[in-house]
Amino acid sequence: MGYRIGIDVGGTFTDYLMLSPDGGTRVHKVLSSPADSSEAVLQGLAELAATERLSLLKFLGAVDIIVHGTTVTTNAVLTGHIARTGMLTTKGFRDALEMRRGVREAFYDNKFKAPSPLVPRRLRLPVGGRIDYQGREVEPLALQDIELAIAQLQTAKVEAVAISFMHAYANPAHEEVAAELVARRMPDAYLSVSNRVLPQVRFYERTSTTVLNAVVGPILRRYVENLRRRLSQSGFDGVLRIMQSNGGVTSPEAVAALAASTLLSGPAAAPTAGLAALQPHNEDSFITVDMGGTSFDAAMVVGGAPSITTAGFVNRFALALPSMEIITVGAGGGSIAWIDDGLLRMGPQSAGADPGPACYGRGGKVPTCSDASLVLGYLSPSFFAGGRITLDVPAALQAIKDCVSEPLGLDPVRAAFGMYQVMNVNMASAIREISVQKGWDPRRFPLICAGGAGGVHAAMIARELGIRRILVPREAAIFCASGMLRTDLKHDFVRSYTSVLSETTTDLKYVGSLVEAMTDEANDVLNSEGIDRVHRRFVHTVDLRYLGQYHEVSVETSAAQLHAGAWHEIREAFHNRHDQLYGYALRGERSEVEMVSVRLTALGATDKPPLTHEPRCQADAAHAYKGRRKVFQPTARDFAETPVYDGDLLRNGNQLEGPAIVEKVTTTILIPAGFTLAVDSFGGCVLEDRLTEVLA
Amino acid sequence: MTSQVDPIDASILHRRLKSITEEMGLTLLRTTRSPILNEARDFVTGLYDAQGQMLEQTEYIPVLAFALQPACEHIVNYFGDDIHDGDVILHNDVFSGGNQNNDVAVFRPVFRDGRLAAWAACKGHQADIGGAQAGGYNPEAREVWQEALRITPIKVYERGQIRRDVWRLIFANIRYSIVEDDIKAQIGATRVGERGLLEVFRQFDDTAFGACIDYLFDASERMVRREIAAIADGTYLGESFAFYDGVNDGSRMKINLAVTVSGDEVTFDFTGSSPQTPGFVNAPYSATASALLLTFLMLINPDVPHNAGILRPIRIINPEGSFLNARFPAATTFGNSITGPISDAIFRAFAQALPKMVTAGWNRMMGFTVTGFDSRHARPYVDILFLALKGGSGATFGADGYNHIGLINCAGGILAQDYEMFEIHDPHRLVRHEYAVDSAGAGRWRGGLGVETEFVMDGENVTGIAFGDGIEEEARAFGLFGGKAGSINALAIDFPNGATRRPKAKEIIRGIPRGATFRQSAGGGGGYGEPYERPESLVHAEVLDGVLGVRAAREDYGVVIDPITLALDISATQQLRSRS
Repeated sequence: MGYRIGIDVGGTFTDYLMLSPDGGTRVHKVLSSPADSSEAVLQGLAELAATERLSLLKFLGAVDIIVHGTTVTTNAVLTGHIARTGMLTTKGFRDALEMRRGVREAFYDNKFKAPSPLVPRRLRLPVGGRIDYQGREVEPLALQDIELAIAQLQTAKVEAVAISFMHAYANPAHEEVAAELVARRMPDAYLSVSNRVLPQVRFYERTSTTVLNAVVGPILRRYVENLRRRLSQSGFDGVLRIMQSNGGVTSPEAVAALAASTLLSGPAAAPTAGLAALQPHNEDSFITVDMGGTSFDAAMVVGGAPSITTAGFVNRFALALPSMEIITVGAGGGSIAWIDDGLLRMGPQSAGADPGPACYGRGGKVPTCSDASLVLGYLSPSFFAGGRITLDVPAALQAIKDCVSEPLGLDPVRAAFGMYQVMNVNMASAIREISVQKGWDPRRFPLICAGGAGGVHAAMIARELGIRRILVPREAAIFCASGMLRTDLKHDFVRSYTSVLSETTTDLKYVGSLVEAMTDEANDVLNSEGIDRVHRRFVHTVDLRYLGQYHEVSVETSAAQLHAGAWHEIREAFHNRHDQLYGYALRGERSEVEMVSVRLTALGATDKPPLTHEPRCQADAAHAYKGRRKVFQPTARDFAETPVYDGDLLRNGNQLEGPAIVEKVTTTILIPAGFTLAVDSFGGCVLEDRLTEVLA
Repeated sequence: MTSQVDPIDASILHRRLKSITEEMGLTLLRTTRSPILNEARDFVTGLYDAQGQMLEQTEYIPVLAFALQPACEHIVNYFGDDIHDGDVILHNDVFSGGNQNNDVAVFRPVFRDGRLAAWAACKGHQADIGGAQAGGYNPEAREVWQEALRITPIKVYERGQIRRDVWRLIFANIRYSIVEDDIKAQIGATRVGERGLLEVFRQFDDTAFGACIDYLFDASERMVRREIAAIADGTYLGESFAFYDGVNDGSRMKINLAVTVSGDEVTFDFTGSSPQTPGFVNAPYSATASALLLTFLMLINPDVPHNAGILRPIRIINPEGSFLNARFPAATTFGNSITGPISDAIFRAFAQALPKMVTAGWNRMMGFTVTGFDSRHARPYVDILFLALKGGSGATFGADGYNHIGLINCAGGILAQDYEMFEIHDPHRLVRHEYAVDSAGAGRWRGGLGVETEFVMDGENVTGIAFGDGIEEEARAFGLFGGKAGSINALAIDFPNGATRRPKAKEIIRGIPRGATFRQSAGGGGGYGEPYERPESLVHAEVLDGVLGVRAAREDYGVVIDPITLALDISATQQLRSRS
């Protein structure tokens, strides 16, 4: 058994978690290299090799697997540096992509602009021919339109071509003819065809997803090829896997064909990381949050199953591929404080990495969340990032005075504490949104608080929400990288078929053929990834709704039920799920149940590194005691001499009572009065709020 | 007093209250059944103080920005000391603070130590509210009873006990059972609001809460006053017209607006506007106030916290008896749709005073609801055709109008239907839904593009109800400062026998046969500034993109483009542009 490495490329840092053959783990971070993120990836690997006293060639030769999360596609869309793309679409509907169904996200701001379309109108070319909602051809395909369009796209020198025709999910024939012509005439173009990318009803969502796939396709393909080449030149001949938005991983070949599946992959490994971190506690339902420098991600996992959504957005364009349901808000260590007519606000603007918070001493003049944490004594000026960065207290204080305390007529410490409080309220409302929207009461779940800045806020966010237990995992600072090594291969398939679900209205044979087609496709991909049959698992779901409703609810079923036409059982499961989600079900007389899509999720189990429990030690944590410093206590609202412990010396079973500070190289945890801390067998810190009552 | 308040406590209270109204909104989105609520999001959630003053509110479409406070104040006065913990009160009456018959509000009083301390409320557009026409839009209505059941208000829960007789009576007068479910969902949302407020009460005692609220009111008031103070003092006149009252052909109703800015206060005076109409083209007071407030919010910093403090520097004079404040028992269901003409008058009035904030005219809404029988599934169907009615917004300084945004009442909050779902839901086959060429009003910044919709109808027994405006030449979205008007709204039904019928702006069309083709052009928004000042590269780009014709580029913008190659002729353009 060799090394296994998870590599998570973020906006500021590239994070590593390395598992050694001897079972040891190492956390590492390097600054990202946005121009070509494989630079930083290789640099970090070289540094890891050095810590192992190996040459890069030798080290990579001993690496079995690298799981890689990349935001290269996300950044391409956000910055507009996308591939030049053309589009063929049904005549009469060429503006669907740009219209985005006519939404303006800011009601009262008449200068608010629509995002510029991913493909300009002159390259969105109409093609005659029409399939109806049942898949019947009502107008033959106009081949001459396709020929004309190809000529135009060749002249325009596009790198990618998207094809999206009306009702192609019901009958792909027209799209396939067009795709074949384009492939023949433009062999170098990246081809993205709606019935292959997402054979699912809803024209805008399918079109937008298909186009997003096209505009990032050539970019991801290039990136992955480049990375693979550099890795193999440096001696790597193990397995490379790429993280997807659905929380699973896939092979470089498969991801290049469906590049859009990485668009929301940034935080997608967090739920898996959370499941592993909670293992010592035998729990599989939780809220997980990750607070970094600029953003705050929150996700929910119930019964071991993370929420999945097909209503994602990238730069305000719909992305309907299944992805982890994660809310991201602009709240992080770098969030900037500002005053709006006497009211204090935090973020969403961030000071970023350069110049960064005022306390970084790089010329930043605006007060940030980190500056407040420093002034309040939560962060140590001399032990930030293990002492690698010295924080400038006077600079932080000055920025807070200039921009917050003087305009509000408050003393700077009160102002700093206000900044801290407003941050906590903002983050708590994001958590409320992700839980309440799905019908869950956040107080009933433990909170996993990750990210470099999370530990300072964890306890007080939890109290804001009435959550009693918080886990700050050992790998908090590189949480997603740690999750990547534990994810399975995962591929999602969908077919739409709209029909009232009953013996008389639903075409059983047709449903069976859809399931078969998806199963064949799934087996092909898993074969190509070298997963043998015993390690495959197929999960079938059906998207259902009450007739006349707009939104569907996904209900788990099985191949056997679908082949047998067990509609009654499936309807019952739907009523139950609907009741659970929305508080009512309409059994019987009032509403028929309509099927919209059938889905298959194919999982290929990967070999996971074992989780090793540390031996249990006594409760006493005196060995980790470092000293005391003045820390502002959120409940007493005053400074108090507070003991500080070295978190990297704490062991399984050690216990502390608040008020206290636990400092690790990668993160700092505030334990306010009324909270206790206990270290678990994975080295995670469990905070418990003794002042929040236990729910009945 | 307010100087004692800790501004940070107030900031936190503001975030908490906002978060509660959002949580109430999320609850409604996931518990209501009607697509008007969970898809079009035609609802508002809010918290009010014991006197009915708005503490915080989240409106999901702008026209509901002022939809709850007048009714809340009315309820406080009406019930006096007969308000108890556990009561739930319904209200929709447009003659006592309601804004539209179909918008039913649920109010729940929240108590602290046995005293009324606040209200949690929400209001949503119901799929039906009784009256002569299912769904409520009835161009043939002449008085309120033909439109709706009046709830003036009534308690449906008293001290936590449901009043079954009352409940039954209400829903016995409403067609669809879905409405009963949706009202239950609204009651549930007010409970979420109550729970949130009680949590806040635990952290803020009575005095601190009151002081922080005053601070928040004052903060919003200060923000608005500062914005008003920046406007030059004076009286600014704006007028506009609504067209066709649904009864008298060629009728038009005038909005006569005088805005007086004096220091940091502003008065909106509608005196002299046309008298109320015999049909349903009348606004209740609250609808006019909402239209005014949403337009005003577009002219100032839109981030101001939405509470009663906003209203303090604003005075509204809107005499009873005009079509902007109709007297009992007028029919008023079209009232919200007068928002377009009201906004026009406000933008026109402020054009001199706030030239960089006003927009040119927005496309007026032209709605067409279709009901019929879908023989594919042997069931009736109804569709408000949101996709066909979304025209362009007016351009403003620094920004083109927004394409395909639709009525200003919603300002981009209502989604067009998905084409494939549309064909699955309705026995209609779409032929076209695309930007309308040359629809945008020309200008340095052009208006938003309008949209052309065409579909073939294959339902049986189809009836269409037209309710809208903007098919008259004069009702085009106006241009500003040299900008030109947007394109006109047009509506046509081509019958299989070759005849074409052009519905009036308010009309019920019965007996539309199978195979008829529906065509609608939703017009573009008005342009802002001299079209000749628009950079030629932008004009050229829009010709290349096919939303602007070569001829319009030349005539409106003075940009010369070769009709065959579509190449820009720079010297001819400079020559043409320098001539004017």
